[in-house]
Parts: sequence; structure tokens; C-alpha cells
Amino acid sequence: MSYKINFYADLCVACGACSVACMDQNDIDTEKGDQPYRRAYQTDYTDSGEKHIGYFSASCRHCDDAPCIAACPSGCLFKDPETGFTVYDTTNCIGCRSCSMACPHGAPAVASTGKMAKCYGCNERVKAGLKPACVAVCPFGALKLEEA
Amino acid sequence: MDKYAVIGIGCAGYNAVKSMRENGFIGEIHIYSDVSHPSANPMLTTYYVSGRLPREGMFPFGSLEKLVKDYNVILHTDTRVRHVNASEKQLVLEDGSSEVFDKILIAAGARAVSPPLGQKPKGRCFLMRSVEDADRLKQVLEQENISSAAVVGASMTGIKVTELLAEKNISVTMIDMADRLFPLACMKETADILEKDLTGRGIRLLLRTGVDHVEENGNDISTFLTDGSCVSTDILVLCIGTRANTELAANTEVLEKEPVLINRGIVVDEHMQTSVPGIFAAGDCCEALNIQTGSTMIIGLWANAAEQGRIAGCCMAADCNENSLPDTPPADGSPSSALCSALPAYKGSIPNNITHYFDQTFVGIGDPNLTGERFTAFNKSGMVSAIHDGRNIKCINILGNYRISGMVKDYLIKRITGQGAFMAVADMGLLRNSGVPEEFIQLLKN
Repeated sequence: MSYKINFYADLCVACGACSVACMDQNDIDTEKGDQPYRRAYQTDYTDSGEKHIGYFSASCRHCDDAPCIAACPSGCLFKDPETGFTVYDTTNCIGCRSCSMACPHGAPAVASTGKMAKCYGCNERVKAGLKPACVAVCPFGALKLEEA
Repeated sequence: MDKYAVIGIGCAGYNAVKSMRENGFIGEIHIYSDVSHPSANPMLTTYYVSGRLPREGMFPFGSLEKLVKDYNVILHTDTRVRHVNASEKQLVLEDGSSEVFDKILIAAGARAVSPPLGQKPKGRCFLMRSVEDADRLKQVLEQENISSAAVVGASMTGIKVTELLAEKNISVTMIDMADRLFPLACMKETADILEKDLTGRGIRLLLRTGVDHVEENGNDISTFLTDGSCVSTDILVLCIGTRANTELAANTEVLEKEPVLINRGIVVDEHMQTSVPGIFAAGDCCEALNIQTGSTMIIGLWANAAEQGRIAGCCMAADCNENSLPDTPPADGSPSSALCSALPAYKGSIPNNITHYFDQTFVGIGDPNLTGERFTAFNKSGMVSAIHDGRNIKCINILGNYRISGMVKDYLIKRITGQGAFMAVADMGLLRNSGVPEEFIQLLKN
């Protein structure tokens, strides 16, 4: 069974709980400059002449045909056949950033370790029947783990 | 049962084989490789020499045994194909023997060029492309006392070689005939910043001068330059560029048909088929669509090779009886494009590069040598600059803020292909939150 972490913008207030949960789940060391795999943010925009504020939570989309997989020169990225998440083994990651160049969503980053890091869907949690940390903590249900 | 040949087992060849099997091809697949090792990535050679990767790390698809087991292929390693007889779909091998196939994929890659050395480098002169090149340089760096090096070619490979040598406290001189660093990707304004950064790290940079000839005397390499000067170092590494391996498809005898069309690379259509039906090409040896120019061009990138291999494999695996591969090429000799519309098509690409060296990250998208209005903006996360004419963006350079590179490239491609009128609010916010100037976002949107 394949999953996606779907985002419902009309339920989001960009409170940042998802980012904090991600930091906690993945031991993100912000003091070293590392960032959570999920980013919450707001932005203003104009629609039909009216000004609005949009609230978002963005991370890896776990694309079906993920371009980061083909772009990785070391073969570090791959699909988990059980969950469909785009996961990785960075043993041979060279920190070249080709994955970033391939990703149309700005998901992959290089951590302070010099290796790529990005959302992996809390793959082990999902395999164990749990929700990803960001989904579990979202107070408004803006993030949902759903079958792809 | 059909029998296919794949010449070369780099990224394109591997992905083609994978795609053939995934798309139901059950016939024999014969792979011809002139080396004995598995699929290697030339980009990883410098990381192996630097010590950041183990030797097996250069082979991202694993062992040859795994290839045979996963995809049931017949391997012919250390076997050089001398010629492809296109009309007969026949491979002629170096030993004179030959074999006929139903379809052939040429995925022979590219090789590093070394005109100043005249022949295969030896002694203390090196190239940096193949596994053998990497093994040679690593051995010399580990076993000899090297204190100075000349690196010819201010290219993506040249900068990685420079980095690894400098990190070993070797004094490096970079030489290039061009007027700037990364001349095929970098705008002059960006290059000025990068060159200042490089020289500040103690790298000697000699631009606008080429190599006339090289003399080797014992442990001393004298590189004589076209401006009359000479650089004496312990080693010389040539990173001048690559040339597509097109020779085995050249001068093919195709009775009553056009031969395989070759420019700088083997020209292919959107299904990776050459001008001769049943002969395909993919990867660094081929020219495919550059969406910025509308012409075919070699854009030698790992991701392109993977996608081209996937497309070629799928199209080769397809049932070609009546509704797919045409029997005759177009009268003008151009690659045929009349394959079944249900088959996947290569959408094309634009030149794009990302390189990280020392603590610098450079991103180049498009052609920096096109003319137009210049836009440059600095912020805390780096620099972004563009060449545009108000309507079309021709080139983008980014320093530092690499995480936006994929988004920016994607929107540029959408604009070029006519899909770019709308930018999602979420993406706009992500760019803003990444420190991208509003003016640049508007340029990308409009």
C-alpha cells in the first residue's frame, strides 16, 4: 500500500507544530543550522484584486516518479516498496546537491553532516501503524496520511 | 524471440535495460562493455580520489552479478565494439566476429579529451573521467610527495579536482582558455565573485590562456601556455571537456537509407531513436532536444542519461509491429518521430549544473552567453542573477541558496514550454521564505 502525506491549505494556520514535531522526531540540531524536513510559513497574495494571506506546510511530496531518485549520482534515494515514500540511505551521499536541483518543491537539503536530509514520511512509524509525527501533531487536521 | 544489444553500461545503458524488463521485454539482452567493472558514474571519481567515497561507491548500481541477477542479461565485458552495421543491425567486434540483433542501443558515453598530450596520459599527467583515471591519480597522491599541480579546465570537473588537491595542501594552478570560471554555465558577474573567492583560498587562476604543449622531465611537468609562459608542477590534470563516443555509429553503410545522423553526438528523436529505425542512442553519446533552443544538443547530465535510458528501453520493449517503429526514416534524414503516440517521449532539457566545492555552491541554468538585460540581487542567503529580455529568461545563476534551484529550474522550463503563466501561491511563499527577492520571483512568474 502506498501513502501520501496530503496537505489541506484551508485548515492550516502555519502554527509550526508540524515543524517542531519533525525536529523532535528526527533530532534536528537547529544550533548547527539544520532545518526540520517540514517548513510552515505564510505568504500574502492577491486574487481577483483582493489581498489574502495563505498558510502553508511544505515538505517532500513523495512524487510517484520522483526526479531526485534519478538525479542522485550515488543512488542514495529510492522508493520504499511497502509505503511508497521516497526514502534514502546516505552512506555514499557526497553532498553534491543534485537532488535539490532535481526537486521542483525545494525539499532536499544538505545537513550539517554534509549529507542530504529530507522528509522520509516517518517511514518506520508508518510501517508500525503510526502516523508521521507532523500528521499526528497537527491540531487542525491540515496534514493527513492517506492512501495514494 | 527478439534479441537486443546495449553498447555501454553507464547510467543510460543500465536504465535502458531496467526499463526494457519493466516494460515486458523477455528476449535476450546482450550488454557490451569495454571495461570489466560495473556501471560507474564519472562524477564520483573525484570523491573517490579525495577519500570521501570508497572505491565501490563509484558504482551506484551495484555489482555486475547483481545486474545479471536482476535483469537476466548476457554480459560481454572487456569487449570493444568496433562498428555498428546499421543496415543489418549487426555489431562487429574488435576481434572481427559479428552478431546480428533486432534492435541496438548505443549508450557508449563520452570520453575525456586530451589534445595537449596527444595520446593516452601517462606518468604524472592525468585525466579525470574513468575509474582507471581515478585509480591512477589516487595512487600517485597516496604514494608520492606531491606539492604542486596544474589543473587545465575551469570546468565542473576541474573545480572538484582543484578542491581535492587543495585540501591535501597541494598548491594548485587552474588554467583555462576562457575568460571566466565555468564558461558554459556562469555569467561574467557571477564568475568575478567566484574567482575572487578562489584566489582568496590560494588557488592561482590563469584565464584566457591555453596549453600549447607539455614536457615531462622526471618528476617535473612543464606546461607551456599559449601566452608564452610556463607552469612547472609535480602533476598535471586535464579537465578540458568530453567528446561523445560516436565513432562506432559513424560511416555506417545503410543500403538505400540514410546513415546514422551524427553531429557532435548521435542525433535522436523524442523516443531516443536515431535516424535509422531500430538503432537507438541515449546518454552522453547522444544529442537530444534542448528546449531552450529547439535544437538537439549534448547535455551530459546523470539525470538526463537516466531519463533517456528509461525512454529508450521502454520504446525498444514496445511492440513495434505496425503502430510503433516506422520502417523508413524521413526523407530529410532527420530522426524519425512517427513512433506510436502511446510510447513515452523525452521532453528535453536545458543546460543546468550545480556544483558544491569548498563551502561554495554554484547553480547555472540556461546559456550565460546569450544577450539581454541583467538582473542581480544579493541577500543573506547568497546571490541570484538572470539574463532576460523582459519576456524570456535566458540564464539564471544562483550562489549559495541551492534549495531553490529545482523550483527555479522547473518554473523556467514551464515558461520555456509555455506552461509558466501560473505560479502556485505555496511555491511563491516558499521562494519568499527562502530569501528570494520579490523582483526575481516576478521575473520568474511573468
